[in-house]
Amino acid sequence: MPLNKGQSTLIQRVQNRDLCTFCGACASLCPYFRSWEGRLVKLDTCDLETGRCFLNCPRTGLDLDALYGAVFGGKHVPVEMGPCLEVVMARGTDPRFKGQVQTGGAVTALLSSALEGGAIQAAVLTARGEDLLPQGRIARSAGEVLDCAGSSYVAGPALEAFNAANGSGETLGVVGLPCQIQALAKMRLNREFDPDKKIDRLGLTVGLFCTWALDYQSFSGFFRSRFSDRKILGLDISPPPQRLLSVTTPQSREEIPLDEIREFIRPGCKVCLDMTSELADISVGTVEGRPGWNTLAVRTERGRAGLEMAQSRGALETRPLPPESLAHLKEASLLKKSRGLAALRERAETKDCYLDLDSKMGRAIIEAVEGVEA
Amino acid sequence: MTAINQDAPGRTALLMGNEAIARGAVEAGVSVCAGYPGNPSSEIIATLAQAGPDLGRHVEWSVNEKVALETAMAASFTGLRGLAVMKQNGLNVAADALMTLAMTGCRGGLVVVVCDDPGAISSNNEEDTRAFAKIGDLPLLEPAHIQEAKDITRWAFELSEKLALPVLVRSTTRVSHARGAVVLGELAQEPPQPWFDASAPFISVPPTAAHQALKDKLKRAGEIFEQSPFNYYQGPKNPELLVVTSGVDLLYTQEAALLLQAEERIGICKLGATWPLPEKFVLDCLRRSDRILFVEEVDAFLEDNVMALAARHGAALGPKEFLGRGSGALPRVGETNPDLAATALAKILGTEYSPRDPEYAAQAREAAALAPERQIGFCAGCPHRASYWSIKNALALDGRKGFVVGDIGCYSMGFGPSGFFQLKTLHAMGSGPGVAGAMGRLAALGLDQPALTVIGDSTFFHAALPALANASYNGGKLLTLILDNSATAMTGFQPHPGTGLTAMGKDAQVLDIEAVCRALGAHVEVADPFDLEDSCQALTRLLKRENGLHVLIMRRECALKRSKREGPSYKMSIDPERCLGQECGCNRLCTRIFKCPGLSWDKDAGRARIEETICIGCGVCTQICPGSAIIAEPAKEAA
Amino acid sequence: MTLNRDFQNVIITGVGGQGNVLASQILAQMMLNQGFKVTIGETLGVSQRGGSVMSHLRISRERRLSPQIPEGKAHLVLTLEPVEGLRVLGTYGNPETRMVANTKPVYPIGVLAGEAEYPPVETITQKIKELTAGLWTLDATRIGTEMGAPILANIALLGAAVGLDLIQGDREVFEKVIQEIMPQAKAAANLEAFDRGAGEVEAA
Repeated sequence: MPLNKGQSTLIQRVQNRDLCTFCGACASLCPYFRSWEGRLVKLDTCDLETGRCFLNCPRTGLDLDALYGAVFGGKHVPVEMGPCLEVVMARGTDPRFKGQVQTGGAVTALLSSALEGGAIQAAVLTARGEDLLPQGRIARSAGEVLDCAGSSYVAGPALEAFNAANGSGETLGVVGLPCQIQALAKMRLNREFDPDKKIDRLGLTVGLFCTWALDYQSFSGFFRSRFSDRKILGLDISPPPQRLLSVTTPQSREEIPLDEIREFIRPGCKVCLDMTSELADISVGTVEGRPGWNTLAVRTERGRAGLEMAQSRGALETRPLPPESLAHLKEASLLKKSRGLAALRERAETKDCYLDLDSKMGRAIIEAVEGVEA
Repeated sequence: MTAINQDAPGRTALLMGNEAIARGAVEAGVSVCAGYPGNPSSEIIATLAQAGPDLGRHVEWSVNEKVALETAMAASFTGLRGLAVMKQNGLNVAADALMTLAMTGCRGGLVVVVCDDPGAISSNNEEDTRAFAKIGDLPLLEPAHIQEAKDITRWAFELSEKLALPVLVRSTTRVSHARGAVVLGELAQEPPQPWFDASAPFISVPPTAAHQALKDKLKRAGEIFEQSPFNYYQGPKNPELLVVTSGVDLLYTQEAALLLQAEERIGICKLGATWPLPEKFVLDCLRRSDRILFVEEVDAFLEDNVMALAARHGAALGPKEFLGRGSGALPRVGETNPDLAATALAKILGTEYSPRDPEYAAQAREAAALAPERQIGFCAGCPHRASYWSIKNALALDGRKGFVVGDIGCYSMGFGPSGFFQLKTLHAMGSGPGVAGAMGRLAALGLDQPALTVIGDSTFFHAALPALANASYNGGKLLTLILDNSATAMTGFQPHPGTGLTAMGKDAQVLDIEAVCRALGAHVEVADPFDLEDSCQALTRLLKRENGLHVLIMRRECALKRSKREGPSYKMSIDPERCLGQECGCNRLCTRIFKCPGLSWDKDAGRARIEETICIGCGVCTQICPGSAIIAEPAKEAA
Repeated sequence: MTLNRDFQNVIITGVGGQGNVLASQILAQMMLNQGFKVTIGETLGVSQRGGSVMSHLRISRERRLSPQIPEGKAHLVLTLEPVEGLRVLGTYGNPETRMVANTKPVYPIGVLAGEAEYPPVETITQKIKELTAGLWTLDATRIGTEMGAPILANIALLGAAVGLDLIQGDREVFEKVIQEIMPQAKAAANLEAFDRGAGEVEAA
């Protein structure tokens, strides 16, 4: 019997296979899925043959050529870290950022400027809620954006907030992890299935660099066993070679070796080939060896406009990225692709893979990875 | 239409079986009547309550059947006539008192009317009350039709006084809920002045002596039954087949004989005074034929006991063939009807019973299959639907595969689609907190699924209190949802201790469910089931709580009760712009899953629609629609 | 008919809340007043929950009949709802059965939910005609609604049956019963509904 493209197949092919990244693309899209305490919960059974929950999921099938085509309009896609108009380093200038934002504060600066400059009217972000639990949130002012600053490294369903953002016609900016940016790209491809055409209201996508995200349920258990009910002020992963998660509480700053938390990485992250949110308008990450600075990969004209707006408003200062940093970045990005492919092969799912490795892009990725490996 | 109090001997009145029973009690001069609602018995107390106040009778809805029996016992112990009324399940509750009451005996006429429900038309079992007569050594009478329902009830009081024993009257749905002509009898004289004779205590000590006295009384009952006009033989002197029957099955048997045109071939041994068996009369009947069919419902009660009697007299009687539910000649379960009786008779007599031309029958059945099924479910605007919606969501969010332990009331329907298939066990009144509390204690043995239970406000007072006390005392986690709709809605809105009204319409103290729960050691919260998100949040929070007794009172008045008094709260409509119908990803959540009868799916328009004649304007569905397409305007502004 | 016509079996059917029980009581009282023996069996199920309801009236000069009509032995069916009439024929109909039907459907929850089909009323009446010796219809619900009380559909239906001479008795017999059981104001409305039913019913 052919599988339908609806709820039951989504559960069978994604949830039951531990491929879910908890991106939130299927949650609050319809009344059937809702995120709850770090889990995706099915509230009722839906028997639609074709559902957006399935179509938009970044783990039900990625036609890479079509996706990159949809975002970059057939432009050449360099395989290491996707198309880039330019890559720079940047940091936010707002003194309030210090201590509150992660590294350079570029995301906060980009979003605040876009909101204040009128490019978007609302920003969909992930906020670290109670007890490390990340939640999708909508910000309509720079202050609200700042409230969401800082990462928890725990997967959060930001796109649930995007789905739930109701139809007041606002142009939306979204900050997301690579899987979330992929889901947004899929929404463009599946526009015909969306009665609201909400994807047309997407004004800016800011992608985050991501190597993996943690599973809330298991990680919070571990975390609470170490920190009991202490308030968490900040979480940070220091760049290699330290491999430490530092946790700031009112009482102390403690460091946990990353190896201790690896077991809490969501299995669905291990098969991901995208470190730098290649389908975003602009992607943001750290700069190795330069604390306090961000890497910005400007990918589209919209991304460039976003950056320029932040610059012109004095919210962001930029510098050229040293060539060795760019080389490191590409190496790291390719390494994630290599690890992801290996994980996919280990799962023996390359044949029925969530992404189309037979596509032009797919073949290029395999070639590049094998080149590195050789 | 009621003729319950009329002093008009000889007049014919059209009465329901339960009204006839009430009239029988009135004719007998009953002073105290008590019962607990339950179909098919509820109309007896309701009728007496309506007729009661001006006639010096006390009529009450007791909190449960045992208390109802005890109420009637008090009357009897002081020389008054007392009536206790219940359905078959209720007798289980009252049985503890009844079994010892049999031993102590009583004084004023004490009649226990139990309405059985063969086929379980409005019950969750079809137990046969006649077994209790045997266990308790109590006389039992079974009316076959409406006239007998009155006459037998009336006579039961006399019999009770003659024997100083409580008398069971067993009715069934088809007697209690049937209507027919009843010739009224004379009304009794004024009841005596009640007094308790302290020199004649009602104590079964020594028990074996009391038991012996009971056996003697029962023997005397058997002797009286030999002469009873409710037992008779009808038919030819030596029929081909003797049918032994009781209750409404008499009418089915007669009708079957008529359908088969076999009235001359069948003899009927009709029993109305059934237990103890009038042995001489039965043996006389048995001598008439060698083939005996028992037509009775539900158990093979007559069949087994008459066979035992025949075995004891086997030498004199000679070999007999005994057929019935026990032998498989009739279905072993369910109620009887004229067709089942005719089919069984035809087979035994070697004739054929063909009620209709088979071709026509097939055609008629095929046509009838076009008629869509009418599923029962919660009414439009019922707070239980909203409560189950939140329960469903909360259990899903909780994620530990929790489940609902059920109890008896409208909310029992939660096992089906209108309760989103949430309810997973269903037994007796009060079983919910009993079983769910124990599930909580099983956590210590490794059960890692949470259980919660739902009970109603009437059930709460009936049988939930001991289970709640037990949970408080024996520990473990118990989450009890009291679905407080301020009514005994399932059975017709009888008042209970939480409503502040008595059966006879007088004001009563309102018992505060919250305070009672707190006194039992519970953590109590109150939620409005119509606020779905708030209720769901409260539930997820309570599901997480540690050991202890937790009560969430989901309080909203029964929609039926409310709509009888006032109009809708909201004028509901569907915004045609916002309801995207088939285009929406909601997949018709409102009509496919939520399924309030007030909402329908307009196939032609491909949109949801408000069924104006059914919708009572509760407004809950506005929270269900993901597209905010269901609009609720305050009714007064809309009007 | 295999039965001798000492008696008449009438089924009044509909959906909970349509006034089925009251109609059967009034009809029974009418018969009682004319010297017949009457037994009514009610199948209420879990009442008030939108289920099918059915009253079996057994009317006889001589006999006390059981509260359940045997298979195929309905002489007359009065139905307050179209498919309920069809449903009744499935068990109790025979080629001599006659039926008076209200034409206004009450949709079951499964139909409202879009899961089950409610056949077109024309299909229902066609099937009923094929299975009976006569079908008469009226929009009794409209009569009730126009009179400000939809429940009066039951009386209109009764009026139709009496007007068609399908039941023993006449308007006078009905009037006497109504005046016995109802206050004056209500009695007038009931008489009007009765008359309108008798006047508006048509052979289908």
